[in-house]
Amino acid sequence: MTLSRKCVPFTPFDGELSKATVAIVSAGGVHLKEQEPFNIADELGDLSFRVIPDDADTSQLMVTHHHYDHADADSDINVVFPLDVLRDLKEEGFIREVARKHVGYMGYTMQLKAMYEGTAPEIANEIDRGSRADVVVLTGG
Amino acid sequence: MRGIPTVLITVSPEVSAQMRPPRALYPKGFGVGNSLGRPGLRELQRQVLRDALRLLTENTRPGQFVTREYPDYGEQYEPPRVRAKGE
Repeated sequence: MTLSRKCVPFTPFDGELSKATVAIVSAGGVHLKEQEPFNIADELGDLSFRVIPDDADTSQLMVTHHHYDHADADSDINVVFPLDVLRDLKEEGFIREVARKHVGYMGYTMQLKAMYEGTAPEIANEIDRGSRADVVVLTGG
Repeated sequence: MRGIPTVLITVSPEVSAQMRPPRALYPKGFGVGNSLGRPGLRELQRQVLRDALRLLTENTRPGQFVTREYPDYGEQYEPPRVRAKGE
């Protein structure tokens, strides 16, 4: 196995989870039904992402991704995009708040450099601007 | 830009490791498409998410993958492997 030569971009977390606001960023191809689906016809992949608001009704979320079997996510989106689960953790006081914005994108791409240097910092900026997230949970498919 | 602490939940640790995530939870034996577990198993999903978030407050070293077992998940799967050159 060949590891990336880039160093691990480690940011420590010095706070307490019970005081933290948490966002979800998923490579599982999740988006709202009313949003434009990811382009699975392009063999190079789709470098775009969708912003999902904190009050999203999870029954209105769906998956557009052709590189994993998302039948389980189709029946319960929380298996790849745990927004209801995060709401539960807020209710039980494990975290303080669900972030105002979350992000879905389609992790499969043949354009790794564009994903790493373009999409990834754009997603980070999106989360940084106005989501109020202290920490981010990343999920794939 | 300030950094944002992240934790990854992955069912493909070998594949994910190539991108050097800061810290990651591998729920052992979970199938692809089941990062948090199976549909409707909400308590299992909560358990996985709590464990992932706890990695942020534990003294994980940069790049560490933590494996946890969740018997409630049921049937186990082998994670996808990364093929070495020439395979």
